[in-house]
Amino acid sequence: MIAARSWGAPRWLPAVALLGAACAAQADPGNDPYAWLKRAAESARTTTYTGTFVHTNGDRTNTIRITHVSAGGDEHERIEPLDGPPQEIVRRNEEMFCYFPDAKTVRLDRRITARFFPSILRSPPESIAASYDVKLGKTERVVGHECRWIRMDPRDSLRFAQRLCSEVGTGLVLRAKTVNEQQQVIEQYTFTDVRLGPQVAKAADVRSTFEARVKQWHTDKQPREEAKSVDTGWTITNPPAGFQKVTEIKRTMPGRAQPVSQIVLSDGIASLSVFVEPNAPPRSAEASSEDGTTTFFVRPMGENLVTVLGEVPLATAQQVGRSVARRP
Amino acid sequence: MKQDISSLMDGELDGPEAARVIRSCCASEESKDTWNLYHVIGEAMRGHAPATLERRAGLGAALAKEPTVLAPRTRVLETTIGRIALAAAASVATIGVVSWIGTQGAAPDAQPGSVVKATSPALMIQPVAATTSVPAQAPIAAPLDVQDYLTAHRQIPSPEAYRPVANRGAAPAR
Repeated sequence: MIAARSWGAPRWLPAVALLGAACAAQADPGNDPYAWLKRAAESARTTTYTGTFVHTNGDRTNTIRITHVSAGGDEHERIEPLDGPPQEIVRRNEEMFCYFPDAKTVRLDRRITARFFPSILRSPPESIAASYDVKLGKTERVVGHECRWIRMDPRDSLRFAQRLCSEVGTGLVLRAKTVNEQQQVIEQYTFTDVRLGPQVAKAADVRSTFEARVKQWHTDKQPREEAKSVDTGWTITNPPAGFQKVTEIKRTMPGRAQPVSQIVLSDGIASLSVFVEPNAPPRSAEASSEDGTTTFFVRPMGENLVTVLGEVPLATAQQVGRSVARRP
Repeated sequence: MKQDISSLMDGELDGPEAARVIRSCCASEESKDTWNLYHVIGEAMRGHAPATLERRAGLGAALAKEPTVLAPRTRVLETTIGRIALAAAASVATIGVVSWIGTQGAAPDAQPGSVVKATSPALMIQPVAATTSVPAQAPIAAPLDVQDYLTAHRQIPSPEAYRPVANRGAAPAR
């Protein structure tokens, strides 16, 4: 109704232009689902917004406050989980500063793997099309904004279906659901309130609010150094269709004497991590667990322990876990 | 009936439906047993040694026969705030551990080393080879701590999981 009129209507364009240069660059996606997808992906980077969203996955729920500013081609973002002990993540493009005031520690890291709502698309829409059938759904009012649903149904059983609710003016995803084969929502991100547009925040607003609380911060640069790609010596010989390697790194982990290898795979939406832990305590059998979209699959492999973890069905995690091999 | 009881315990039934199940639940010995059994299993899953375990002779056999009841149910999310608030209360630390649950001692008919596999969704149950000395209530194998992996994968580290730099590397081997 309203939305349908808005697409083709030239009078919509001035409204878009008012939202600022970054937004104006995003073309009207019309009724092309892939154009909607592309705009949703860009919008998470290039628009300015502030709000609170709730992330529910299985039995776990987190409430997170986010401010994202796009200025001069850079992304400035502050994420503050509101549940549990205080912490915040200040991100500038891919550089992340994670503040833990209780531990007086700031942890430097580089963004690689995760889905950081509302930025949940990790690759161009064209490559997503190989794994998902993308359609446009209805338009409805969500969190006070007109939103168009983008429905992504998997072409096989190796991944879950996705439903993205894209704000009609900017394309920003205001709600994202992951749906299993029984059409049950197993993971959901949803803004509970959100304000959009360059007037809602400036780059200078996106800085640590915790920094002044602690006199002397320990700085842990190790995660950032370890986020650089290395040859782990491991490879996935039989990755599920559509999944490609994003990176491979070695991580130091508490309680593990030796670094753990991590290989990250993604199909553009879903991602999974494969961990190979050397000299792990012996285990005699495979094990697995599912909660929401998070699937674990553990497989002993000689002296190594392979753990696959990701937002994928168990069969996908198993296929990956059983095809870990030393790189020839 | 078993599915109904399970659903009831998970809070998935609404008023009239819940009342119906509660009524019928205590109508038969079998239903009563199921009700009790599911609670014992629930306690075990939450890490409490069920006080009723040793009194329940048939438990081991029942566990061996019905591994799927241990599988975590995929919870259907709703967008209602009430449901989210409910889930929020239970949000802490439900993941982070892949459980190895032994039924040794409680399952006389399980073969040593045999693997009972939950069908769907899967939580594998691995009876440990009988070594006799472990009391039935004791955890059989140390659960695998996957919290660090979850943190590394999602890149949203939790303060609880985070160890300050000073401890890094000096942490004792598990």
